[in-house]
Amino acid sequence: MSRTKLTVVLSQAQGKNPAKRALEESITAALLLENGIDVSIVPSLYDMDANHTGRLYLEGVRGDMVVLSWMYPRATFWMLDRAGIKGHYGENQIAKPTDEDDEETAEPEQSKGIGAVNVPDRKIYCLDLRDHSDHRVYLDEVKRIAAECAAARASKGPLLQLGLMSAEPPASAKTFRPEELLAPTGRRWYPVIDYSRCTNCMECLDFCLFGVYGVDSLDRIVVENQDSCKKGCPACSRVCPEHAIMFPEHKTPAIAGAPVAGPSGLKIDLTKLFGGGDALALAAAERDTELVKDGRAAVGLSVGIPKRQASKPQGPKDDLDKLMDELDALEI
Amino acid sequence: MADDLVFLMGKTEARLPGDRRYARNHLWATLQPEGVWRFGFTSYAIRLMKDVYFLSWSIDAGDVVQLMQEIGHIETSKAESDLFAPLAGVLTRFNEALLHDPTPINTDGYGAGWLFEIQGDGSALMDVAGYHAFLTANWDNTQRILKGKINSHE
Repeated sequence: MSRTKLTVVLSQAQGKNPAKRALEESITAALLLENGIDVSIVPSLYDMDANHTGRLYLEGVRGDMVVLSWMYPRATFWMLDRAGIKGHYGENQIAKPTDEDDEETAEPEQSKGIGAVNVPDRKIYCLDLRDHSDHRVYLDEVKRIAAECAAARASKGPLLQLGLMSAEPPASAKTFRPEELLAPTGRRWYPVIDYSRCTNCMECLDFCLFGVYGVDSLDRIVVENQDSCKKGCPACSRVCPEHAIMFPEHKTPAIAGAPVAGPSGLKIDLTKLFGGGDALALAAAERDTELVKDGRAAVGLSVGIPKRQASKPQGPKDDLDKLMDELDALEI
Repeated sequence: MADDLVFLMGKTEARLPGDRRYARNHLWATLQPEGVWRFGFTSYAIRLMKDVYFLSWSIDAGDVVQLMQEIGHIETSKAESDLFAPLAGVLTRFNEALLHDPTPINTDGYGAGWLFEIQGDGSALMDVAGYHAFLTANWDNTQRILKGKINSHE
């Protein structure tokens, strides 16, 4: 009865950090003993390409899923979405030691992004393994999620269950051996788009000169050629006006997919205006470095940027006073 | 000497004195003896930040700085930001008084609230009209950045 089980997938850390491996092993060992939970280990989600057995396994999973990884949940979730492993964003309740209580709930839904398409009726919960070093925190959260999912299934009643059963391709997720799932991967580097933030403005498409971005059949921006991306270069992320582009392995939290931009989570980060302010110039410099490495000519700010500089307010003009009021309203 | 200008941020007027020069990262600059430029926050920057709570510098007086090198951090009632060198050269002096009490940044931003001094070539700094034009040209984008930040906190 695998379809009533909760699937838990642990995405390993890159490299061989013994502390990280130990946490991974404690969590999987504990979960193996739990009834109603299928647990599997795969290499880092970010590094698996489309042909990797781990990816094929994930694509075969039909029901609710928990994914534990060493990345920000947003990054993990949208990485899976790009791979066609879709679902609704499941809120996890693991509080980071420094988190304020009420900041987590509203974030994914309230934005003006274009959202995901063809999302099946299931939830994907992404947990960040960097939040805690104690495996019991994750164990408790997985159990909580399992109960939540079981309750949701029960409330939907038998009709949907039948639908799920008929929709499930036979014997899909079952046929992989653990060592196949863990086949070694190379290191990869590419952007991940958060469609809950992305407004399809196409600035990244204009900016990137390496053919990473394209549009799909619905004219939605898509990371078309992931492996055309230049290792270490996060320039398009800096250019994105909505902070929708993530590089999950970048050292800067805001670029790697941290939920909020400011260090405290409660204040505005004005770094962009104060000289980090020249994010565009930095992005152009990073792009030039990669162009020159490829034997191409540096282009500076001359290509793919004018749209932004000539930016006209879209729709009704922004109300300046309202903006200042909003700033004032941030007072704690 | 140029006249003072005013940049309108919503209903708030940001006064920009004509007797000094300006850097793109919202600092004013006045020339001191021996080619040293003294920098402080413009009223535009202060309006965005509101009351300064904490200021810290990540380099020492006497250090060589590159243009836009990260040199410190500021925390205010509304905002946080890293701070960046507006000029390449030698950072000769910080306003030590602010490290104990940053209030003068808010009460006398164009005077006693000065931040630091850099010895270097200030020829690329803007005059008041240039800075006003820079603010005008970037205001839409600035709002987008601010709104993006605000929305991400809701």
